[in-house]
Amino acid sequence: MSPREDLPLSGIRVVDLTVVWSGPGATALLGDLGAEVIRVEGNDRLSRQVSAKVTKASFEKTGYHGGTYPDKDPGARPYDRSALFNWHARNKLSACMNLDTPEGHRAFLELVRVSDVLVENNSNGVLEKLGLGHERLLEVNPRLVVVRMPPLGMTGPMSDYLGYGPNFNSLVGIAAMDGYEGEDPDSAGENYHMDEAAPAGVGFAVLAALWDRETTGRGGLVEFAQAENVMAEVGELFLDHQLNHRDPPVLGNADPWAVQDVVRVAGEDRWVAVTVRDDRDWRALCAVPGLDEDPRLPGPDADGDLRRSRSADIRAALADWCADREADDMVATLQGAGVPAAEVVSEPQLLTDAHLEARGWWRERSHPAIGTHRYPGHPWRSDDLDLAFGRPVPGFGEDNEHVYLTVLGWSREEYDDLVARGLVTDHQLA
Amino acid sequence: MADTAGAGETGSGAPAQVLSGVRVLDLSRWVAGEYATKLFADFGADVVKVEKPGEGSLTRRWGPFPDDRPDPERSALFLHLNTNKRSVALDLHDPADRELLLGLVRDAHAVVESFRPGHLERLGLGPDVLRAVNPRLVLTRISAFGQTGPRRDHEASGLVLQAAGGPMHATGQAERAPLRKPALLEHYTVGRSAGQATLAAVLGARRTGRGATIDVSGQEVLLAGADRRASYLLSASYSGITAPRGARSPHRHGATFTGPFRAADGFVMVYVTNQAFWNRFVHLVGAEDPAFRERFLDRQTVAGEDREEFLAHVAGWIAARPKVAVMEAAEAARIPVTAYLSVSEVLTHPHFRERGAFVAADHPRAGRLEYAGPPWRMDRGYALRTPAPLLDQHGADVRAEAAGPTATEPTEPTQEVPA
Repeated sequence: MSPREDLPLSGIRVVDLTVVWSGPGATALLGDLGAEVIRVEGNDRLSRQVSAKVTKASFEKTGYHGGTYPDKDPGARPYDRSALFNWHARNKLSACMNLDTPEGHRAFLELVRVSDVLVENNSNGVLEKLGLGHERLLEVNPRLVVVRMPPLGMTGPMSDYLGYGPNFNSLVGIAAMDGYEGEDPDSAGENYHMDEAAPAGVGFAVLAALWDRETTGRGGLVEFAQAENVMAEVGELFLDHQLNHRDPPVLGNADPWAVQDVVRVAGEDRWVAVTVRDDRDWRALCAVPGLDEDPRLPGPDADGDLRRSRSADIRAALADWCADREADDMVATLQGAGVPAAEVVSEPQLLTDAHLEARGWWRERSHPAIGTHRYPGHPWRSDDLDLAFGRPVPGFGEDNEHVYLTVLGWSREEYDDLVARGLVTDHQLA
Repeated sequence: MADTAGAGETGSGAPAQVLSGVRVLDLSRWVAGEYATKLFADFGADVVKVEKPGEGSLTRRWGPFPDDRPDPERSALFLHLNTNKRSVALDLHDPADRELLLGLVRDAHAVVESFRPGHLERLGLGPDVLRAVNPRLVLTRISAFGQTGPRRDHEASGLVLQAAGGPMHATGQAERAPLRKPALLEHYTVGRSAGQATLAAVLGARRTGRGATIDVSGQEVLLAGADRRASYLLSASYSGITAPRGARSPHRHGATFTGPFRAADGFVMVYVTNQAFWNRFVHLVGAEDPAFRERFLDRQTVAGEDREEFLAHVAGWIAARPKVAVMEAAEAARIPVTAYLSVSEVLTHPHFRERGAFVAADHPRAGRLEYAGPPWRMDRGYALRTPAPLLDQHGADVRAEAAGPTATEPTEPTQEVPA
C-alpha cells in the first residue's frame, strides 16, 4: 500500500482501535481521504467480530445462512472473509498487537507517539484498565486527536449501560416512533441508525480538530457520545414537544404532510415508493392515465389538507393501479410526470443497477484470502479529489512488518523475537 | 442571546471555536444542506444562509409549528437546522443580487447547494463561474441521485431515497410492505456526509490552494452507510444473498435473541447476542423458575416449541414490569436491554440533563426553547451563540460585506489561543 500524497489527509496517521460498525465506519472515511489507517488487532480477540473457529459445519449447527462469506464459505481465514468487517475495511492496514502484554503495550504507545489521530469505540473504561486512557495518550503525544465513542458519553447516570445500535435508538426517542402506521412501535427489522449516524460525525470532528491543530499546535479529546450525535436528527421533534406538548406518533411509511406509500407491484416481493409532496405533484398524479378517472381521487385542485384527509382513498387507488404493473414501467411513468417514485431495491438488484453502473459506484477489487469481488463505493465523490480505494481489506496481521519495522523502527531481531513467541502473528487465534 | 454548552460567553467577543474564521454560504433549502452547514455554524464557522426573498427556505414552511399554525419564523425544523447562521435574502434571478452573491463567494471557503442538478448552471452560477471567482472554493452539490447518470433528473422524497439507497427492502415484516425509518433521518444522514465531505475539501484547499466540486448523491450516501445495508450489499456481492425482511439479526448466529417487547408501561429493546448475555438473561427472567433455567441455560439456539415457550416466558416476565425497571434489572446483570423513551422522556431524562445535552436560547418570535446541543464534545467545540435567523435578518450587513473591498483569498483563523 503506497501512501497517497494528493489527498486532504495524506501524511496523517490514524490508529484504529474500533470494533463493530460505528467506529470502523468512521476510520474508513479517514482512509478515503488519504490517511494511513492502522488497525491494531489482538490475536486473542475478535476485533473483527469473527471467530477463527467458524466453519461451514458450525453454520449448519446453528442454522446460519452463511451469506456474509464469499460463496457462503468461511474458509481457512474467516476473519478475512466476512462482509460485516470487509465493507468498511478498504485502505486499512492491520498490525497484530496484544495491548494486555508488556510488548504490545510498549509498541502501542510508540505507535501513538508517531500518529495524529486515534479512534476507539470500546466500552467506557476498557482503555483505562490497560493503562491507555486518553490522558496517558495525550501525555505521550500532545498533538494527538483522540476520539472516544461511548454511546451515552463518558459521564452521567447511564454512561456505563450496555447496548448495541438498536438499544440506543430506543433511548433517544427514535425507536418509539418507528413501526407500521398506527401500530405498536417495532423497529424496522433491525435499525442501526445510531451506527449510521456516527461515521460522518466522527469524520467531521476529526477534520475540525486537525483544522484547529494547525492553529493551536495541540490535539485533544473528542468525546463522541453516539446517542447525542444522533439526537440532532430528531431535533425538530424536541422543539415540537416544547411547542405543542406532544410526542411523535408511529407513522410507518406515511408522512405528516405529504401523501405517500410503499405499494406492491407485479413480481415476487417487488415494491415501489411514491410521494406526492405538493400541489404540483398532485396535479401530475391526477393526470396519469388510469388514475385520472379513479373516482376515489379528490380532483386535481384538492389542496394539501383535503389530500391528507383522503389519504386512505388515494393510497388505495394507487395500490390498485400498481398491483399488476412492472416496477420499472411504473417508476418511469411517475418520474415522467415529475412525481417522486423509486423501486424498493434489493441488494442483488443494486449490483446490476444501470445508474450506479454509469456512475462507476461499485469497485472491483481482489485479495488473496477472498478472491475478486465488487465492493460498495464511497459515500461522495469529487473530480478534484481522487478518493482512495486501494486494497479492499487487510488480511489479519498483513502489515505487521511495515508497522513494526518501518513505522516503529524496531530492529529485525526484536520483531522476529515477537513472532517467535507468538505475540505477533499473521493469523487470528481466537 | 443564548447559553453556550460548557464555558464561555456569547455574542460578539465569543471565544474562538475550532472553525472560527471559516466562511460558508448555504444556498440549500432543505434538510440535508441545512444540516451540513449547521455542523459548520455550531462549531464556529460564519455561515450565511442565502434565502429566497419573501419566502425563504423550504424548512420554514415545513413545521412543526406552534398549534400547527404555519409561520415561517416559528418552524421547529428551520429553528433547529439554522442555529448560529446569518440570513440574507437574495434573488438569484436578479443580476445585481447574483453579483452580490459572487462577492460573497470570493471570500468563502465553501458553498453548499441542493438545487436540482443543472439549476445552478442555468442561473449562470455553475461551478466554473464560482471557482473562477475563487479558485480555493469548495462547492458541495447535494442531490438525490448525483450530478450524472441516467437517474440524475429523477425526483425524490425521503421515502424514495430510502427505497433507492436505504436498507428498506430488508426492514419491516416479511409478509408486509417494506418499512421506512421514521422522521427525516435519511436527510440528516445525507447532510452529515455532505458536511464531512465539505470540511475535508476545505482542509485540502488549505494544504494545496485548490478547491473542489463535490457531488453528493443521497442514494450513494445511504448505500455506503453503516446501517447494515452496506454489509448486506457486500454479502450480496460475496454470495448472492438477498437480506431477509422480518428476520431479526439474520447476520448473527449462535445464542441470539433480539427484539422489542411490551412492558407494563411501554416497550423495551432486548439485544442478547452471545452466550454470556444469553445465560445472564436466562438467569434474570428465570430467577424464580429453576426448571426454566435448567432447560435454557447454555443453549446455542432455540427453535420450534422450545422457542415458542421461551418467548412466551420472556414476554410475560417483561410485560409484568415497568420498562425502566426491566432496563435497570438487566443493566445490573449486564445485559443489553433498554427502555423505549419518548421524545418528551429524553428531554427530561436525568442522564441527558446532567450532561447538558440540551441548550437553551431565546428567539424573538419563537421564544425560549431548548435545542439538541453538542453532537460531540471537544475543546473550542460546539456553542449555541445565536438562534436561527429571521428571514433577511442580516441582509444589510451581508450586502455591505459582499459589496465591500475583498480580501484576495479567505484568511485563516488568527485568534489568540487562550492559554
